[in-house]
Amino acid sequence: MRELSPRSLPAFILIGFVVLYAGMLMVIPFLTILYGTFAKGLEPIIATFQDASVQHALLVSLLLSVIAVAVNALFGLITAWVLVRHRFTGRKFLDALVDIPFVFATPIAGYAVLVMFGRGGWFSPTLFPIVFAYPAILLVKIFVALPFVTREIQPVLEALPPDYEEAAYTLGASRWTTFRRIVLPEIRTALLYGIVLTFARVIGEFGAVSVVAGAIEGYTETATTFIFRALKDRDNTGGYSVSVLLCILSVVILIVMNHLRHRALDQR
Amino acid sequence: MSITLQHVSKSYGTEQVVRDVSLHVETGELFVLLGASGSGKSSLLRLIAGLLPVDSGRILLHDRDVTALSPQARGTGFVFQNYSLFRHMTVADNIAFGLSIRKVRRAEQRAKVEELLDLIDLHDCGDRLPTQLSGGQQQRVALARALAYQPNVLLLDEPFGALDVKIRAQLRTSLRAIQQRLGVTAILVTHDQEEAFDIADRIGVIDKGELLEVGAPTALYQRPQTSFTATFLGTANLLQARRNGTRVYIGDANLPAPPDTEHLSGQPVQVLCRPEEIAVSATRAEADAIGAVIGAGTVESISFAGHLQRVTVRLTDGSHAPLQIVLTPGDSRALALTIGQTVWLGVLAYHLLPLS
Amino acid sequence: MTHFSLPAARSIAVAPPQTPYGVWGLRGAAFTYLIAFIAVPIVVVFVQGLYSGLDEFVASLVRPDVVSAIGLSVWTAVLMTVINTVMGTLTAYVLVVYRFPGKKMFNTLIDIPFAVPTLVIGVMLVVAYGPQTVIGAFFKDTFDLRIIFDTPGIVLALLFVGYPFVIRTVQPVLIQLDANQQESAHTIGASPWTTFFRIIFPVIRPAIITGALLSFARSLGEFGSVVIISGNIPMRTQTATVYIYTQIEEGNFQAASGASVVLLLVSFMVTIGVDLFLRRQRHA
Repeated sequence: MRELSPRSLPAFILIGFVVLYAGMLMVIPFLTILYGTFAKGLEPIIATFQDASVQHALLVSLLLSVIAVAVNALFGLITAWVLVRHRFTGRKFLDALVDIPFVFATPIAGYAVLVMFGRGGWFSPTLFPIVFAYPAILLVKIFVALPFVTREIQPVLEALPPDYEEAAYTLGASRWTTFRRIVLPEIRTALLYGIVLTFARVIGEFGAVSVVAGAIEGYTETATTFIFRALKDRDNTGGYSVSVLLCILSVVILIVMNHLRHRALDQR
Repeated sequence: MSITLQHVSKSYGTEQVVRDVSLHVETGELFVLLGASGSGKSSLLRLIAGLLPVDSGRILLHDRDVTALSPQARGTGFVFQNYSLFRHMTVADNIAFGLSIRKVRRAEQRAKVEELLDLIDLHDCGDRLPTQLSGGQQQRVALARALAYQPNVLLLDEPFGALDVKIRAQLRTSLRAIQQRLGVTAILVTHDQEEAFDIADRIGVIDKGELLEVGAPTALYQRPQTSFTATFLGTANLLQARRNGTRVYIGDANLPAPPDTEHLSGQPVQVLCRPEEIAVSATRAEADAIGAVIGAGTVESISFAGHLQRVTVRLTDGSHAPLQIVLTPGDSRALALTIGQTVWLGVLAYHLLPLS
Repeated sequence: MTHFSLPAARSIAVAPPQTPYGVWGLRGAAFTYLIAFIAVPIVVVFVQGLYSGLDEFVASLVRPDVVSAIGLSVWTAVLMTVINTVMGTLTAYVLVVYRFPGKKMFNTLIDIPFAVPTLVIGVMLVVAYGPQTVIGAFFKDTFDLRIIFDTPGIVLALLFVGYPFVIRTVQPVLIQLDANQQESAHTIGASPWTTFFRIIFPVIRPAIITGALLSFARSLGEFGSVVIISGNIPMRTQTATVYIYTQIEEGNFQAASGASVVLLLVSFMVTIGVDLFLRRQRHA
């Protein structure tokens, strides 16, 4: 489609309407919370972030998110590869499974983990605690962001003609070398984009984590459960500060996502 | 290095794409596998390369059984129809790829790449990306890449299929020159009969997974053993006939039987006559003077083809399809044929093959 | 570039002779990953829900607060889908067809809902439109309509969360649309409206439907933003997901299971519907 300059009045109105909608829906709230947080000055904000339990919550969020991202990156890549390059019965079923986390209400996911690993649960653990401890948080984080890497890589893999890898085989490259030197450079951008999406999803997870981890202050509290608790306890500054922090993080993620998307489009 | 196939077969589900093919290609030979789309020729090539596993049979490279070996281990060079150059690598890196896999030293790699760039006549293109090259240039790079580590066998899957006619002709001539210079045994797969004639030492005609005939281009053209080969390799006029004694009977006419055809006596046969081997005469007398007359007919169509004139003539006894005839400019001027004109036809050369 | 089509992926097997070891290693990893993380939790929820028998299951569902919660989830999702589909299509159209200052930034902004945690989305909306703000107060005083802490707020949150869905499915289709078709329509004399409805719309309709169904399914399962913005008043502003959460927190596992099973069933049916729809499109 060719781009037109808006020339008629209806065109202007349409563009204005669309932009206004987006502005009222997303931009105003974004700016409002930024303003609201900084309105009382920097001191309360600094105080929030100097609080040990806040720092702990942020650290917990960050570390567990990174691990979840790593797991999803590795297995997501393998899954994409198997779904595209292998043929076997049940492939379509597996493929359908991948999309489930997109529509799966997060508290239910937390509930499932509770039922499985809680006291008296199906697989009651004896070695180390899972629910109300870090492992459960990790499990649900992996679940909620599971589809992203796979779904980003799949179309790129599908678009690679089979000849491409065959050429490398005939030239003497082993399957691993072919993957490393020929396939990986082609899917690198899609992989990175998937990782970024995964990270954004994972660090912001609340429903499942809240159910499954008990949000125990100083232990299993994460950034998001901290916000929830702070707002309930009327600690608006605390709640808003961490919210803004996550917002700023989101903006950074957004910019990175945008950059990667343009890179991918250029590659085509 | 010679290539031998022994009773190789391959099926996809219920469809058999390669049926019991046995073949031997000599060292240094350029063998062309000629067939229509879907004939199984590409599959056969991939079986030789190891990109497809055989269902049954053996593949030998210089008497070494490679049937169970992976493509990496067979050491063949493969050129694909759509080049399959690695997009994120430069031309030089593409060519050097096979060498870097084999852990050749950087300096040697560079020297080899230079040598190959000269061979394919692309001296200064080493640092370019494949997308910056034309189709013909990319195919040359693909060839260089396949030859870099000096394989003993070169396999080419319709390498010029995606290029224009003029470039195709140039490239196949260079390919032939390079192949002969390096002495590499090569199998080229194509559906283009002109290409096959131009560069092949021998041609193998393949149809529906079966290897029908193998032979030098002239032998296959002049003396094919099957109708398929006859029609595939060029325009063929096939006339049903019967061989008896020392004559071949076509309708009311008869011709001397070619030597060594006694085994076809008493059974229905076909007479193959190429368009350029039919003599057209305006009168019966002229035709008799040339000899080997097969009958009279009516001119049905005349068309101009640059350096030739194409004429179709339907024989008056009506039992055959219109014969396709080709006239040189001299003859066409002398005859000045018109549509509907009655002419007499004689054959200058012909070949007998079984009805199939 | 977020990949929104949900069909089964096409398989292109590259098949040199494969060592069984390598194949089964990869396949096994993928299987384990998906079965363990997705299939098992689903089975667990369903089994747990039906554990005490079908009677208990049904009993846990026919309670008025459950029915109300599920009903609320559904109608807010429907309303959201309708609004979002219209706005999303218009936005995609504007983005593809027109040039205007700030367009690039606008295109980037569309992905905000993917980058911001849903909880924070809820917080942002409360801060911007809550009863204490200018706009919130305005609506309260003039229309006696509370946005935040009432059902309109839920729809608002869902609109925020689902904003990119229709846009990102329609955009690529519009971009690929043949410019020549648009031009020939103009030379024949078609007005922009006619061009849109008879030439453009039929082509983007499948993408619109896909985006709409996806945002609907997503809305049914939305929790983080809704729990902040809705005030969680049972029978009034408590959606199914919040209901389930509350029941879990209070230890009423049977009630939570029942509602979970129903919610999951509805979500799955929508997803399967999308998948079948897309597959039919592919073969058309």
